[in-house]
Amino acid sequence: MIVKREIRTLLEDLLPLVDFDSDFLFAELNSLDVTTILMALADKYGIHLEAVDATPKNLKTLDSIVAMVERKLQEP
Amino acid sequence: MILEDYLERNARLYPDKTAVVCGTETCSYLQLYERSQARAADYAQRRRHVVLFRASQTIDFLVTYFAIHIAGAVAAPLEKDTPQELLDEMAKDIEAIEVPEGIADVLFTTGTTGRSKGVMISHRTIVADAENLIAGQGFSQELAFIINGPLNHIGSLSKTFPVILQGATLIILDGMRDFAQFFQALDYPAPKMATFFVPANVRMLIQFGADKLASYAEKLDFIECGGAPLPHADMLELCRLLPKTRLYNTYASTETGIVSTYNYNDGRCIAGCLGRTMPHSRIIITAEGHIACQGDTLMSGYLGEPELTAQVLRNDTVYMSDLGSIDEEGMLHIGGRQDDVINVGGYKVAPTEVEDAALLLTSVKDCICISTPHPITGNALKLLLVMADGQALNKRQIALHLKQRLELYKVPMLYEQVEHIERTYNGKLNRKFYRQS
Repeated sequence: MIVKREIRTLLEDLLPLVDFDSDFLFAELNSLDVTTILMALADKYGIHLEAVDATPKNLKTLDSIVAMVERKLQEP
Repeated sequence: MILEDYLERNARLYPDKTAVVCGTETCSYLQLYERSQARAADYAQRRRHVVLFRASQTIDFLVTYFAIHIAGAVAAPLEKDTPQELLDEMAKDIEAIEVPEGIADVLFTTGTTGRSKGVMISHRTIVADAENLIAGQGFSQELAFIINGPLNHIGSLSKTFPVILQGATLIILDGMRDFAQFFQALDYPAPKMATFFVPANVRMLIQFGADKLASYAEKLDFIECGGAPLPHADMLELCRLLPKTRLYNTYASTETGIVSTYNYNDGRCIAGCLGRTMPHSRIIITAEGHIACQGDTLMSGYLGEPELTAQVLRNDTVYMSDLGSIDEEGMLHIGGRQDDVINVGGYKVAPTEVEDAALLLTSVKDCICISTPHPITGNALKLLLVMADGQALNKRQIALHLKQRLELYKVPMLYEQVEHIERTYNGKLNRKFYRQS
């Protein structure tokens, strides 16, 4: 199971301006933030992420990001 | 004719043609013209005076922009996240200034001199930019052009000009963070699609959406890249993904307007080439190797800054900090810059502005803002800080402090605590040392 704290630390270090406690996280992000998140998660967890994964639903909160990573890890 | 005359003409000739699409909202040429006309009454008292307003990625932005022009006032769109304190300060500074006749816009940029200032753009310049883009890149009436960048920036704002002149359709997106929305926009039922990217957009799409982008190869008429140099590897990859699409690298700035363009999907894909000048423009290379531009697309000067203007604009020529050369085919090739301004994804940032804001924090003893390589934007701002005794670096606190005082693109992405900052023998920040290291 992915540790939420681990993802928070990783992303907060890369995006210090973003409030990862927000319930409307996607609304706070710009395109560079979204790409940074995708790149960081793909590198850290060895998962395959694509543009279509960067949906408002997948990036709504830190919990939904964690859930997306867990789903991707289970993909064959 | 000014841009709004073309808008009025299109409202007469093609009243029902879709002028703008933004999310679920659409606006025909007639509706856009009528809304702009009605809104113009709000600015009737501001003739030849600057109207500051935050740019939004909405149809209402265009209505406001056109309305200000129709009223004879001057549009000054600012970053959408401009802090209120900064906006109030700017408003106070320019409230009473009466701008010269014929000025349409004041666009704020760091530009060539490293200080934030208002670039005055005339109505004539707007039409010349539009005609340059029509001739150089083939904007046509059947085109739908996707705007995904901020509309206060010349890169995106200038694309509205040929769209209106040609009676084409504009699709406005609120950035590229929602890739799915961008691809949905490409599904718009127009025979031809086009868009403008800064290099970071290209990198993002290549990294996370290459196959999907390639599926639009038949429909994408052209893509213009600008703001900052596109890495050659990304140019080659775009050519591979979109073999039939015209892919342009353009030389443009707020001060010079849209000057030259090069379709690098020509089988040669020449790195650093920005093509031939467009009909309203000329380029000369100075004895020192700098690019200088002439023609109808030039700015009219910096608002309220005659001395600064004279440093850059003399004898109907704008002198740039960019180094360049012109080859035997008459094509412009760009070298680097010879100043301290840092170009981040198409935005020019004066490092002193960032440093001055950071030094307002008592916990910061010294600092320097430098450029560092970045996998997406090409380069990013990094702030090196010497913290006051007993103070630890808190990235978020510093970033939030800077966000309150600066536009978002000026807030560094990276922060590092260091023991000391390198200075020259006379105590100035040694920027050369950090550029070389």
